[in-house]
Amino acid sequence: MTDESKLIAAAQAGSADAFCGLARLYRERLLRFLLTRCASFADAEDALQDTLIAAFRYIHSYDSRWRFSTWLYRIAIRNAAKLRGPDTVDIGELRDEENDPLQQCIADSETQNLWVSARSTLNDEVFTAMWLRYAEDMSVNDISTTLDRSVSWTKVNLMRGRRALETQMNSVANQSEAYG
Amino acid sequence: MDKLAKQLRADAERIEVTVSDELDRRINASLRAVEPVEQVPRTAKPPFFWLASTLTGVAAAVAVIAIVNWQSPDEQTSATPVNFVAAVPTIDLKAESAMLTGPLQDELDKLQSDLKKAEEKVKRDIGL
Repeated sequence: MTDESKLIAAAQAGSADAFCGLARLYRERLLRFLLTRCASFADAEDALQDTLIAAFRYIHSYDSRWRFSTWLYRIAIRNAAKLRGPDTVDIGELRDEENDPLQQCIADSETQNLWVSARSTLNDEVFTAMWLRYAEDMSVNDISTTLDRSVSWTKVNLMRGRRALETQMNSVANQSEAYG
Repeated sequence: MDKLAKQLRADAERIEVTVSDELDRRINASLRAVEPVEQVPRTAKPPFFWLASTLTGVAAAVAVIAIVNWQSPDEQTSATPVNFVAAVPTIDLKAESAMLTGPLQDELDKLQSDLKKAEEKVKRDIGL
């Protein structure tokens, strides 16, 4: 039994301390992910808090056949969507550069971060699939479960996302070569 | 790992986030104030429930057979009845059908969910 499964078992028995320990393992990763989905840093923090509360409240419904992170990300995505409401436009269109929480967390000196361009190039769901695959190292099956999409949809859209970002990456490389 | 995957991984790690002490306190306090929702245990059915439902099922089957067979000879068709049961080859399924169809059903559900989402998106796009 791993440390994580021990903590899960204890949390399922009602231990808030065990769940706090579990939350500590995931909160930075979740916050980083939520920053890409929310309009401000404060929203991302609220979404993180709501996600962890909902996860603890419904910890009994967690099925150990799934990875815990898959279950947690499912809740996080729902919470981030709830904060935005059903009729809002794509999150990339809402932000200006000054208030973009993702931009704020990347040092000014650094070159263009691919995730920033990914967000303006890809739609929300494809972006999330790409994030879960390449930042979280999730399997295609886990991603399709998290997004409540079919495996075929996930594969096709990961491929499309990759193509779009490869083009982006190559054009940045060409630009920097051109400027020396 | 290819170049793009490496770049994406590195760029994700470059996004610096720290959970502030204030947020940490907030989360811990709210987690301690929350009670997990108890899962309602499935109540076991009393033994006579199964007996009663079996008897009801058998009675319904007998009733259907009686109604179907209770016909006057002139109503019966003259055509030679075809024994469909004999005509259809019997497949001896050893594996549980649920195990075989489960993943397909999941995939079907997800495809239907995709379709629904796409439909909603189109409706939203055209302003319905």
